[in-house]
Amino acid sequence: MVKSKKFLSALLSVCMCSTLLLSSCGGNSPGSSDTAQGKDGVSGKVTYLTLNQEDRDYVTKLTPDFNQKFPDVKIEVVTAPYDQFDQKLQTMIAGNTPPDVTSHFGQAGFMEYYNKGMLLDLTPMMEADKYDPVAVGIPKEIADIYKIEDKYYGLPLNTYVSVLAYNQDLFDRANIPYPTADYEDKSWTWDKMLEYAKKLTVNSDNMEAATYGLEWFWAEPDMRPLYFGAKVYSDDTWTNGGNPSEVYFNSPEVINVYQKLSDLVFKDRVSPTDSIVQGLGGQSGESFTSGKIAMKPAGAWILSGTNELPFKVGIAAIPNAGNDKIRDVLYVDPLFILKGSKNPRAAYEWIKFNLEPEIQEKMIDLSGGNPPSNMKAFEKYCSFFPNIDPKDLKMVYDGGIKYGTESYNHLVNNYSQIWTIVKNETDPCLLTGKSTAADVAPAVQEKVTKLLKDMNSK
Amino acid sequence: MSLQNKPVGMPKKKSHAGRYISVAVLVIVTLIMLLPVFYMISTALKSNVEIRKVPPTIIPSQLHFENFGLIFSKIRFGTYFFNSIFVAVLVLIGTLLSSSLVSFGFARYKAREKNLLFMLLLSTLMLPYPALIIPQYLLFRNIGWVDSFLPLIVPSFFGSAYMIFLLKQFFSSLPNDLFDAAKIDGCSEFRTWWNIALPLCKPAMATVSIFTFLWTWNDFITPVIYLNTDSKFTLPIGMSGMISAFRLIPWNLIMVGSIYSLLPIFILFFIAQKYFVEGIVLTGLK
Repeated sequence: MVKSKKFLSALLSVCMCSTLLLSSCGGNSPGSSDTAQGKDGVSGKVTYLTLNQEDRDYVTKLTPDFNQKFPDVKIEVVTAPYDQFDQKLQTMIAGNTPPDVTSHFGQAGFMEYYNKGMLLDLTPMMEADKYDPVAVGIPKEIADIYKIEDKYYGLPLNTYVSVLAYNQDLFDRANIPYPTADYEDKSWTWDKMLEYAKKLTVNSDNMEAATYGLEWFWAEPDMRPLYFGAKVYSDDTWTNGGNPSEVYFNSPEVINVYQKLSDLVFKDRVSPTDSIVQGLGGQSGESFTSGKIAMKPAGAWILSGTNELPFKVGIAAIPNAGNDKIRDVLYVDPLFILKGSKNPRAAYEWIKFNLEPEIQEKMIDLSGGNPPSNMKAFEKYCSFFPNIDPKDLKMVYDGGIKYGTESYNHLVNNYSQIWTIVKNETDPCLLTGKSTAADVAPAVQEKVTKLLKDMNSK
Repeated sequence: MSLQNKPVGMPKKKSHAGRYISVAVLVIVTLIMLLPVFYMISTALKSNVEIRKVPPTIIPSQLHFENFGLIFSKIRFGTYFFNSIFVAVLVLIGTLLSSSLVSFGFARYKAREKNLLFMLLLSTLMLPYPALIIPQYLLFRNIGWVDSFLPLIVPSFFGSAYMIFLLKQFFSSLPNDLFDAAKIDGCSEFRTWWNIALPLCKPAMATVSIFTFLWTWNDFITPVIYLNTDSKFTLPIGMSGMISAFRLIPWNLIMVGSIYSLLPIFILFFIAQKYFVEGIVLTGLK
């Protein structure tokens, strides 16, 4: 009995020692968030939630610069993987420790945060500070994307336009002139691009020989009709917080667009099938790096790593396909402050700091080519990619911003649910070619309408 | 030789053809099973250009062994690896000690409502992890354990329902005579558990060890929830940072990381394999 007591004591001691040992490598105690105010009112801790990727976690290298200006503010960078970003954020909010600053780095877009009332209105701080993002160097079209009813809920950190990347080696081999980077060139149209694509395509079962003129898995599936001048959401969507009152997936214009895109793969055969695209690396841009695709529209992130590819890359304007006002999709990542921030003033200073021209220039280097939102840093961005002509990049960016509109995934409320329906229902037309656009359109229309009705009734 | 004179238990002679066919089938199946491993090694040795080649090359045109060092400069691979080992080993110790002790109690002692308690324990297996995330997070946040290894390790020292269930079945199969004899010889209950029950349960403990280590090693969501700082990340989170939709994905380095991350599992499996065999032999003798 004595022995067993001794053993039990020893076991408990080991457990306690382990706990103490582990505690020594423990985290901060609750409430350790420093909220003491400095004499200038800017002090304390700011938690910044971002992705654990090299193009996002570079910010840890910027904090010393920030601390030179604000020595009393501690920036804590919390990172999470893309797929778990939203879950991490929700857990932090539920735990009453929301990050002070973040962006829509996960699957949820800006409008979802806005509609849930999670975002702090930055306008009072900006007015008190006389801070004008346009005067700082951010184009008005970009600065206003996350401005709702004259209130700023986010300030743009990165502005990705869409570009048409092309494989110069394939163009040279087919003896075709490079497409223009100038958005004002009236000769650069959808039909012209299709003509090029046909010449650049080599349909062959031998993957060594096969090439594809065009890969058009660009933008979200519900956004593709807009490029051709057809709309799927009612106009009030853009003024009422991203809640469409009507959708038009079965309009003749929208059906025509989806059929046109399906025909690229299954009729014209200038585009690879989805399975081939997956085999080449996926729709996000990796397929282009295989050297088998002659032209591919994508966000400007496709430029990163082009110097590592065994072929020359050029960039061109997205051609005109019938919509004179909108030809480009923008992907603008704003920084916003979450309601519940314990240090909104310091958080606001952190956002402003990230938009300064010098810091945006540093960001380009540290992140490996994230585009700035501040045009004063744009020259640096243009010269960052050794294989891309800076003049072309400048033209494509100017045109992209002029003819661009923000990606729907950032502007439509409850987007992931709508996206899932549109994707699932249009796949038989766009990905497998088993149905025509006219076949799938009624189901998309019916299901999205029902979803919106359900959501609006809640 | 008559049938009556044929020695009992002598195996029938198999035809050579049958043996060759079975060996050939085994070789083919083995090769198919090893194909992903081979492709992983092959990709790990390719250059950045060659990993994007279509159609892909099976054998790298040039072997890039430097990739095995490059990963340490590209990300904090060493730190992530050490963190994963640290967490997995402590979780393993915690699970083995606590689960074996609890399961020994459930298997050996008679108590009122023991079955009810056991059912209650098993019912915790039905709770999906997402339902536990927020309450657990609140608990650990209130005691200041967020951004530390404690929420990952400490729960294992309070037993795992699945492992308790697994070990209880094994302890229940041990003959009571062994414990009675030990009791007559003056052995305490703890000593009975430590010196008699545990050594006899090595095969089950080996199984528990492999499962626990594997689950902890590959656990993704718990570290994501509780760890905030890069220097504390475990291998799965650390390596996930190499995949970005905005950058070219370094598949060669990801494969290098995968090879390194397989090593501890291989080592543990080879150590535990002996006990698996021992378990099979013991079962055969019974």
